[in-house]
Amino acid sequence: MRISRRSLLKGAVAAGAATAVVGRAEAREKREVEAEAVGMLYDSTLCIGCRACVTKCKEANGLPYDRSADGLYDQPDDLNGNTKNVIKVLASEGGQYAFMKQQCMHCVDPSCVSVCMMGALHKEGQGTRHHDGEVRGSGIVLYDKNTCVGCRYCQIACPYLIPKFEWTKAFPLIVKCELCRHRADPKKAGPLAVANPACCEVCPREAVVYGKRAELLAEAKRRLAANPQKYNGHVYGEVEGGGTQVLYLAAKGVEFKQLGLPELPEESQAYFSEHVSHMPYLNGITPIALYAAAAFVVRRNRKKEEAAEHHGEGK
Amino acid sequence: MSGHDHPKAIGGKLFSPLMNVCLGLFALSVAVMAYRFFAGVGPVSAMSDGYAWGIWEPVNVVVFTGIGAGAYSTGLLCYLLNQGKYHPLVRPAVLLGAIAYSLAGASILIALGRYWNVYWLFLPGVWNLGSVLLEVAACVMTYVMVLWIEVLPAVLEGAADSKHPFWAKIGKKWGPVLAKAMPYFIAAAMILPTMHQSSLGGLMLIAGPKLNPLWHTALLPTLALISCLAMGYGAVVALTNILHMTWNAKADQRLFADLSKVNGGLLFLFVVVRLVDIAAHGKLKYLGVFDFHLFFFLLETALFLVPAFMFFSKKVQQNRGKLLGAALLSILAGALWRIDAYLTAYNGGDGFEYMPSLGEIAVTVGMAAVGVAVFLVVARFFPVVVVDDARDHSHVGAGQVQAAAGR
Repeated sequence: MRISRRSLLKGAVAAGAATAVVGRAEAREKREVEAEAVGMLYDSTLCIGCRACVTKCKEANGLPYDRSADGLYDQPDDLNGNTKNVIKVLASEGGQYAFMKQQCMHCVDPSCVSVCMMGALHKEGQGTRHHDGEVRGSGIVLYDKNTCVGCRYCQIACPYLIPKFEWTKAFPLIVKCELCRHRADPKKAGPLAVANPACCEVCPREAVVYGKRAELLAEAKRRLAANPQKYNGHVYGEVEGGGTQVLYLAAKGVEFKQLGLPELPEESQAYFSEHVSHMPYLNGITPIALYAAAAFVVRRNRKKEEAAEHHGEGK
Repeated sequence: MSGHDHPKAIGGKLFSPLMNVCLGLFALSVAVMAYRFFAGVGPVSAMSDGYAWGIWEPVNVVVFTGIGAGAYSTGLLCYLLNQGKYHPLVRPAVLLGAIAYSLAGASILIALGRYWNVYWLFLPGVWNLGSVLLEVAACVMTYVMVLWIEVLPAVLEGAADSKHPFWAKIGKKWGPVLAKAMPYFIAAAMILPTMHQSSLGGLMLIAGPKLNPLWHTALLPTLALISCLAMGYGAVVALTNILHMTWNAKADQRLFADLSKVNGGLLFLFVVVRLVDIAAHGKLKYLGVFDFHLFFFLLETALFLVPAFMFFSKKVQQNRGKLLGAALLSILAGALWRIDAYLTAYNGGDGFEYMPSLGEIAVTVGMAAVGVAVFLVVARFFPVVVVDDARDHSHVGAGQVQAAAGR
């Protein structure tokens, strides 16, 4: 009796230790924008669709071109394993055009980061491990190919359909914008020391600009206030899905939905999912308690059964 | 367990026609898998950036483990609720579970793009504790081990009866040791599926706006748990019935009827939980327009309700064929709900469409086939199946029991 009770305890502790680790993540709070977060502001009314940013992005990130049928011209019509940044043109009913720049939104509480098993996708400085030269609080969603198993759950999770996969490679990667983190210049001060997006650098109209998110948000609101007849009156990304670090402005009469940006609640999907999934675990207490109770009951039932049969047969 | 419902090694010819068909299908899938490792996932599958999981995740993992949950659901009744009468069903159920879960794990390795990095999964230091998939992966890996440990008593018992002195010694020595430790493994086998089966539903919580509102609900984990129990009971009744037809397995109709009443209750519960949730969250409006999604919703609901009513009908309970039919329907119900929640109700975005490719289907079918093959091998060599009127105890490879050629 004494031995079995001790082993029952041991078993419970072993199982509990494993689940307690899992349970640690349960005290999940809503994520707020960090003061040092960097991002981009894309003003659709300023974009002329020259696609210089698309080309420059490929150059800066060493990505192959998507050749046109005649093999002459790089013309990706959507993000893909070769393309981290794309300009889309959307015709509206009145014969008007609206441009849309699509790349990673660098969410405040990203779905991809929430679901990634080993933190291959992680917000800079907030990951499970600290990578060399990471800046705390920048909030850039970075990709670490060394811990990625290619499960593609990030693709299922992302509401903006951003992460792409190299489908035709034997050793594929997940491909998405990392805000040209690799082009950061430590000799410079401010945001440029953190990252230096090629698309912002090359844009002839400053339709997309890079900087601290707080400053970009203030600038966006200033533009809305200064020109209410020009804009649709809303900054996309301020609150959508818990907020994003890439912000969007659109022309009057153009809905963000038309630009391909989903209508999302203010609560992030990551918060919702983690909250619902982890709640029943009560910080790992439930599995430990259930295991101990199950072990106790199973053992007791076994004893009763054996007593009834007078001869203990191995299961 | 009393003397006459003791499991017995079936024996007989190993390369039966069924076995050969299974191995053939598996060989075909191996060819596809081999090609996948050279060419990437894209060329063999219809998966895309919109539909990144295709059928491999929803079917090979989510449906296979649902069927494998027979080990869990039967174990719950037998060990936790002390319904000793279900003992004869346990060993086949556990073997089915071990095989189904192992195949699910193997399928995942093929689907993973960067499979060589999976070793990180064994290093808790890098785990992202917020990830629901991590919980599923860690839990399923542990459970696969627990399931095979649960299969071991049969193997050791077979060894103990072996004519070969070495195996007999091993079996006689370790069988009783394992028997002592079993309750602790059984307890783990009750808790682990409770966790990962609900998490399998929880995986799609994050999809939010991409999932049709009729499927996306905070109750996804609850529904996944109920459906796996129902699928499990269905699978056990179906399996034992099939074993009865082929190998004269003990098939106690009253036992099936009792088990099926439990199953019927679960199927009803599933539909009630779902409908109440839909009504409570103001989603009734989605039931107003008949479209692709509503079609699947209605089909699903019918698949849950029809076997539920059948299980409670006296006529069905007494009729072997009808009860088997209802059991199969209850597996199909859970399977369709799972496939819907992962695939048909999932919107991969404008411009993306998905229809499984022949390569993907070949891998899924091949995996199922090799599962059947493994079951045949283990049940022929080791005492897993409880055979009718088996007066004598098991003898490995002995017994002129019917060959499986009949199926």
